[in-house]
Amino acid sequence: MTERKNDDTALEALFAEARRESAPLPDDLFARIMADAESRLPAAPAASPRRQSRLAALGAMLGGWPSMAGLATATLAGVWIGVAQPSGLSDLGLWSGDGVQAGYELGDMMPGYDSLTGEG
Amino acid sequence: MELPGHDPDAALLVAFGNGDLSAARLLTARLGPRVLGFATRMLKGDRAEAEDVTQEAMVRLWKQAPEWQQGQARVSTWLFRVTSNLCLDRLRKTGRSVGLDETAEPEDDRPGALDGIAEAERQAALTEALARLPDRQRQAVVLRHIEGMANPLIAEIMDISTEAVESLTARGKRALAADLAPRREELGYD
Repeated sequence: MTERKNDDTALEALFAEARRESAPLPDDLFARIMADAESRLPAAPAASPRRQSRLAALGAMLGGWPSMAGLATATLAGVWIGVAQPSGLSDLGLWSGDGVQAGYELGDMMPGYDSLTGEG
Repeated sequence: MELPGHDPDAALLVAFGNGDLSAARLLTARLGPRVLGFATRMLKGDRAEAEDVTQEAMVRLWKQAPEWQQGQARVSTWLFRVTSNLCLDRLRKTGRSVGLDETAEPEDDRPGALDGIAEAERQAALTEALARLPDRQRQAVVLRHIEGMANPLIAEIMDISTEAVESLTARGKRALAADLAPRREELGYD
């Protein structure tokens, strides 16, 4: 029994020594392993697209620069119409609240029946 | 400190899979020496062959990198399994394999008794005694008592049950103790 215990103790001591024995890899083996790794190095994935500014992202969402140019032109035209108020528009009286109220009723916008009542 | 369930080797392997060569350097430095030590003991002290096996096991690891799924297994467990299989294949192919039912004969030309032999010689004696164990016992004993792995991990590496691991390590230790007993004084442990 005691002998068995001694054997176990001796064995444990040998195992403990073996566990401590951890030498680094020999240089030439390390170099061979790294050469293998380099030859099998997977290609790095393509770099992620450059982060866009919010304006650029909005532009892209609306269809790119041709659409943006059209949109800008339309905006400028709207502003110009609002500011310059072409004479043709003022004649309609649409820009005066009173004019709209006084000059036009809903029925005025409806098609007339005159053409149906005429002889023919 | 390593977080439970976290495998830093897996993070390095994934980094290598994404094209980072420096991750391979770190992985080699972390795992290479353990793999070489294990392969040397599995191959009965044949250092040159153990170096070839280590290189081959690492090549397989690099090939595996692009498909590695985090959480599928620990990288070290996977690597030890590959190394084990490579060693067992080589032992079988060269007729040096010892089955569980066989026991290799102790060599007759053991060194004579020495008073307190050096650590290197004690380790050589351990390697020789391990080499006389059946392959599977040697594998289990080295993984348990020298690599310090837990039985469930060894079971995963050897693809057997935890109970079978316990049985193999117990029998292996008994056989080692019996083999080394006559040299206890010589080994400086009496």
